[in-house]
Amino acid sequence: MELIDKLSILADAAKYDASCASSGAPKRSSRGKAGLGSSSGMGICHSFTPDGRCVSLLKVLLTNFCLFDCQYCVNRRSSNVPRARFTPEEVVRLTLSFYRRNTISGLFLSSGIIRSSDYTMEQLIRVAKLLRETHQFRGYIHLKAIPEADPKLLEEAGRYADRLSANIELPTLTSLKTLAPEKELGTIHAAMGHMRQGIDAANDDARQDARQPIRSGNPRRQAPRYAPGGQSTQMIVGADATDDRTILQSAQHLYRDFRLKRVYYSAFSPIPERPAGLPQAAPPLLREHRLYQADFLIRSYGFQAEELLNAPGNLDLEIDPKLAWALAHRDDFPVDLNRAEPAMIARVPGIGLRSVQRLVDLRRLRRIRYQDLVSLRCRLDTLRPFVVTQDYRPTDAHQDSVRLRQNLTAPQPAQMALW
Amino acid sequence: MNPIPVRPTQHIAHARDFDEWRTQARQLLQADIPPASVTWQDGEDSHADLFATPSSSAQPPPAQGSSSPIRIGRDQLTLLRNAARYRTGGVDQGADQPRWPLLYQVLWRLTRGDATATHPADADGRVLHQRWHAVKREAHHMHAFLRFHRRDDALGERYIAWFEPAHDVLDLGAEHFADRMGGSRWIIATPEGGVSWNGSALDYRHPCPDSWKAEARAATDRVNGDEDHTLWRTYFASTFNPARLNHKVMTQHMPQRFWRHLSEGDLIPAMEAKARHGGQRLAQETSVGQRKGKALPSGRAALPRGPSGEK
Repeated sequence: MELIDKLSILADAAKYDASCASSGAPKRSSRGKAGLGSSSGMGICHSFTPDGRCVSLLKVLLTNFCLFDCQYCVNRRSSNVPRARFTPEEVVRLTLSFYRRNTISGLFLSSGIIRSSDYTMEQLIRVAKLLRETHQFRGYIHLKAIPEADPKLLEEAGRYADRLSANIELPTLTSLKTLAPEKELGTIHAAMGHMRQGIDAANDDARQDARQPIRSGNPRRQAPRYAPGGQSTQMIVGADATDDRTILQSAQHLYRDFRLKRVYYSAFSPIPERPAGLPQAAPPLLREHRLYQADFLIRSYGFQAEELLNAPGNLDLEIDPKLAWALAHRDDFPVDLNRAEPAMIARVPGIGLRSVQRLVDLRRLRRIRYQDLVSLRCRLDTLRPFVVTQDYRPTDAHQDSVRLRQNLTAPQPAQMALW
Repeated sequence: MNPIPVRPTQHIAHARDFDEWRTQARQLLQADIPPASVTWQDGEDSHADLFATPSSSAQPPPAQGSSSPIRIGRDQLTLLRNAARYRTGGVDQGADQPRWPLLYQVLWRLTRGDATATHPADADGRVLHQRWHAVKREAHHMHAFLRFHRRDDALGERYIAWFEPAHDVLDLGAEHFADRMGGSRWIIATPEGGVSWNGSALDYRHPCPDSWKAEARAATDRVNGDEDHTLWRTYFASTFNPARLNHKVMTQHMPQRFWRHLSEGDLIPAMEAKARHGGQRLAQETSVGQRKGKALPSGRAALPRGPSGEK
């Protein structure tokens, strides 16, 4: 099969993995050195496809042959898709060529399981090793971790990759058993545990190195890095009846116990010849959007999953989770912007983290006035009932939440277009 | 105490770039010249000022002033320096304030103890932050959307790119690509300046040499690129998920003014149209779906059992 045909098949096969970030790598440069590639911690989106998704890495499967039969997956054993397999050299060639043209910042490599989990993991490592050692590639590498693979292989993978990930896909034992009986939640957690240990150990070594004066300019004298960009995972949304509360609790647990950098939520997209029991509906994009908003509130705003959803069910589709929380906790408002703790200001609907920082900086110099919220371009219509400034008190602070919510949400059009 | 002049003296200051502005501004500050008394000109000192008022009232800034150093915070200096990269007077920019008077106004306020001058909630500070944000964004666009094309010469492997930045970010891009490309030689040509990298040093040219411009534009506009050009376009089409079509988000992140010089830009309208007309049902790329498929028989080489004996 021609390289171009393999690429067409194996890029299509890889699109269901939502993680594509090229961020979190340490600073590297090829200036004045053999080889190529650099990284800086901040990712680059080199292009965007018409689904609004960023093209940052060459995202392919090494092969889409697979022994497993996970029902939600287009590459499952029983699926009638065209199959292909790259040689490691072909993947290297594509990565370097695209990189030099500045169309990607690195490689994201996954694979169907062939022959055995160990064998598959070895093939992935081989590609990364070729890039790092033979071609001295210093760009970004994200490798999938095959959960059943030998921990020694996971350890080796971490030496070449900036980020590793093992996909949970489905958060509960029951859903995994129903839709992907060959996968084991316990094994996936074990793999994440191994990766976490490796990452923690490398971080400890790095901190030790940072404390001591630099003994030599040779970077090999320093402790080897292990997946410095951390690990991430993905959960599929809408493939079965699992609700948002379960998904968010699972994500919170993963962040705490495995110190993941990111959890991705991937709306289940219709696949050809989908097995019975899987929905044929359009992907639930709005639900996925709300989950990302809730995830961001948990990671960066100090919310707990239990605060956002304390009963079984899904997040409100009509309003964002932060506003929903505020409407359910009116006793905590209005917030006096000149006195309140930053963490509480961050809970005001319509004020984002950057504005919180700017307000806190400003109130060291002078009192905050309503006009400052205008200048900082906070969402005024949303925040008005919830804040107090030197020259402003809300008139609708005593209005009940139902009425307030009605006022805050725009009148719904007759047909709601789900993008 | 100085007597109040009957007619205020107007000083004229020239600056081509930030460092020149900084030198002039320092002198003016040390002589206590307020912003309203300065007329700033973009350009060199030797150029005649076409709009000069009778020269009796115009004076260059005094060369010697008080010797106390002007101090501002490093963050504030970064803000000023980056806001100065913003090109005013563009199509989208409307009635933009010229940059040197704005910067001097802010500097004047800062040195008089008004630290809010650089805060985003302040009238002046807000403009600076908006400009810095636009400059940062344009530098990021350059890192992201610039496309190199391979054009070997007598010395071997070589890459060339054409880019049209909306603000003065050429050096920010050049440094980034010097780190990225290592020993490879490359040239970036823009309508204003150009830069080349020979593997070890950057060579800036202003204005950009015509030969560079011509070669870069030809490389970008040529439809029949090399084999790897086709591979990239194949990848781009294949990685798209038609079931998630979202024109609005795509154009928010990737403004249409860049599409022309992207190797994959001309594919976008066709991909969108195809998705809208029926292809949106499935996530799979249609050409892949049309190929012959292969279901794999089960019971092939059973997986080895995990350490606990469970499967």
